[in-house]
Amino acid sequence: MKLRIGVAVATMLAAGNALAAGTTLNVGMASADAGKLDPHVATTTPDKGLLYWMFNGLVRIKPGEASPEFIEPDLAKSWTSSDDGLTWTFELRDDVECHGDYGKLDAEDVVFSLKRAMNPDISSFAKDYSAFESVEATGPSEVTIKLSENVPSLLGLLVPYHGGNIVCKDAVEALGETYQREPVGTGPFMFAEYQPQQYVKLVANPEYFRGEPKIKEIYYRYIPSDASRDLAFQAGEIDMIYGKQEQSWVKRISEVPGTKVVVMRPGEMSVLHLNMSAPPLDNILVRKAFAHAISRDAMVQFKGPDVTLAAISPVPEGHLGYTADVPTYDYDVDKAKELLAEAGYPDGVTIKAIHTTLPGMLTTMEAVQALLREANINMEIETVEHATFHEQIRKDMSQVVHYAAARFPVADVYLTQFFHSDSIVGTDTAITNFSHCAVADDEIVEARTETDQDKQLELWATAQKKIMEEVCAVPVVQSMQLWAWKDTLDLGVEVNGSLNLSPPVTEQASFSE
Amino acid sequence: MTAFILKRLGFAVVTLFAVLTIVFFIVRVLPGDPAMAILGDQASEAALSALRVRLGLDVPLYQQYFEFLGGVLVGDWGVSMVSGRPVIDEILKVLPATLELTIASLILGAVVGIPVGVWSAVRRNKLPDYVARIASLLGLSFPAFVSAVLLLMFFSIQLRWFPVISSSQGGGLGEHLRNLALPAINLGLIMAAYITRVARSAMLEVLNQDYVRTARAKGLAFAIIVRRHCLRNAMIPVVTVVGLYLGILIGNSVLTEIVFNRPGLGKLIVGALNQRDYTMLQGMMVIYTLIVVLVNLLTDLTYGLIDPRIKYS
Repeated sequence: MKLRIGVAVATMLAAGNALAAGTTLNVGMASADAGKLDPHVATTTPDKGLLYWMFNGLVRIKPGEASPEFIEPDLAKSWTSSDDGLTWTFELRDDVECHGDYGKLDAEDVVFSLKRAMNPDISSFAKDYSAFESVEATGPSEVTIKLSENVPSLLGLLVPYHGGNIVCKDAVEALGETYQREPVGTGPFMFAEYQPQQYVKLVANPEYFRGEPKIKEIYYRYIPSDASRDLAFQAGEIDMIYGKQEQSWVKRISEVPGTKVVVMRPGEMSVLHLNMSAPPLDNILVRKAFAHAISRDAMVQFKGPDVTLAAISPVPEGHLGYTADVPTYDYDVDKAKELLAEAGYPDGVTIKAIHTTLPGMLTTMEAVQALLREANINMEIETVEHATFHEQIRKDMSQVVHYAAARFPVADVYLTQFFHSDSIVGTDTAITNFSHCAVADDEIVEARTETDQDKQLELWATAQKKIMEEVCAVPVVQSMQLWAWKDTLDLGVEVNGSLNLSPPVTEQASFSE
Repeated sequence: MTAFILKRLGFAVVTLFAVLTIVFFIVRVLPGDPAMAILGDQASEAALSALRVRLGLDVPLYQQYFEFLGGVLVGDWGVSMVSGRPVIDEILKVLPATLELTIASLILGAVVGIPVGVWSAVRRNKLPDYVARIASLLGLSFPAFVSAVLLLMFFSIQLRWFPVISSSQGGGLGEHLRNLALPAINLGLIMAAYITRVARSAMLEVLNQDYVRTARAKGLAFAIIVRRHCLRNAMIPVVTVVGLYLGILIGNSVLTEIVFNRPGLGKLIVGALNQRDYTMLQGMMVIYTLIVVLVNLLTDLTYGLIDPRIKYS
């Protein structure tokens, strides 16, 4: 009898799952809850991933790609720029509707949106737009942007990512604070419902200018436990799952029948920043010894060859401005020991590192620790919880900072944030320069405003060479973004990457059954 | 009785004030920056400073403290620094889920734990006693997240009886109970293990009392002695443990909430702590303190129901 009840329940569940497929997409995201859902404020991967399906920019990176070389029109159907690159005029589409009853999108909305992204009192990304001198509606469907100086990728600032997401003025003004919880955009999917710690529900935007999406509902479920997320996927309760950046995860989830695993760019770059402002790492011989003691091949094997790439330059491979033509330090323990002896540390050296308890990052650091030990470099790791880690590394309390980050794929972003002297931690303009590196300031600044692209690439390459010559940091690996979904789900595009780190679920996505 | 309750409520106000004061200062002493949690790690120092001003973190600590206390007194718990949503709304949205899970676990724990504990005591040093003792030891020593994953693998993946995501929306009462079943079993069995041990030892003590020996000597059936004369007297330690454990359970249900993906206070407080969401943490502490105080008061009042000799003064 009990068995029969069990079979009946299982059959009902299976039927329910089958019915749920078709037009409802269930997504499992590794997060306990939603944060702020205002695209000009949201900074976390889970929030940005969701907003990607709800908003447009003036231009966009072709769905499925992550590099600015794939930029194509989005809300703007065309654009022109002045010869000096300081004035840009965009002609908008006239068939774009804001979600809900907020009417047609026009130039006023775009101006309002970009000014909002530039406003440091509202936007988390205002600094990115500091070169914007003015944004004006020069016609009902025309927007003109004037720059005070050239920027490395103006169009890159206008894709639906961070401040480039275009919001609807009337909605923002009408909703006030509520906008942070109930965002209104122009994208293929609209906000419908939020259940705390459970899900955000999106519904198809029937007025979407590229056509009504075939998927009618998306449940973006917050499932913080990796094990539960995997089990829910295995049980068929979710169709698309955010992966764990581990080779073992890829292997395990691939074994679930009917699963497609996707490895996407941009990679999260793991870099060891060496604090050059204090002994013993103020000595370049010690830094070189440190670099020679780390085997990138071993690290790639450790993290998984299918999900990581060896990092060569401080800028990730595939980013605009990346070069592999930089000084490299081959894995050579004897050489490392020689360099240490030459630096006055024949018996080895002890270095203190503060590190987060986040498991993915900590295992990387522990593997580095084991490699360094072979070369008589004793790295003492003090683990602290994540928020404390962020505070303490910004107070110069760690001689080695292991930092993993995915950024907008233009060399300027990495070089400025991690290696320009303005970004040195502890200063008023600090961002994330933990090494106190200041050897490539001129090249970084000059490249930022250089209009000749060849020259710009050359300057970025020089900056990378200088940083590596000084061993300000040791790039280790690049961990790719991992997702999996049912093979019955067709996103309509080949997925190689996504700037917002979530797969492109657009009007083209559909289930094949 | 009324005087007793009022006195206890008076103590509760003092306790609440002390807890809030301690929490207010401790969370601010901890390293970590709510501004960075909001703006992300790419934010410049200038942007972080500007946000700290907007969040009111730039004013002297004592001023922040009095503003916070003033708010609590008039029922204004502020808004979450991270999500921007009102603290009280955030808490009230997930509180029912936590209470539901706690009560379901309590019922399950009592229904299983009390009879097994009594049975184990009555059959002392016999096979049922050994089985109950080993089972309760396993229940106590098994980490909640491990048992949760095992339950999911068996009942949700193999048998497909229950969903993995317990917070599934929609459905009627049946669906709701199906969502609740596994998390409640997971926590309830741990509670049952506690109750079994306490009920067993309390029962053993009562069984050795003179009045029990007298009852047996006069020829009363053993089952009647246990039911009429022993059970009630053995329940006071059980109620004490349940009361204490209930407070702990509400706080410790976080692992169960995470693995079964249920909303709840545990997940809320962990998120707030990770992100240094001061206002949310303060609001959570008010709720936790109130719950613990209330549970303790109910525990004390239950003593009088079990043993009429207990007087409240």
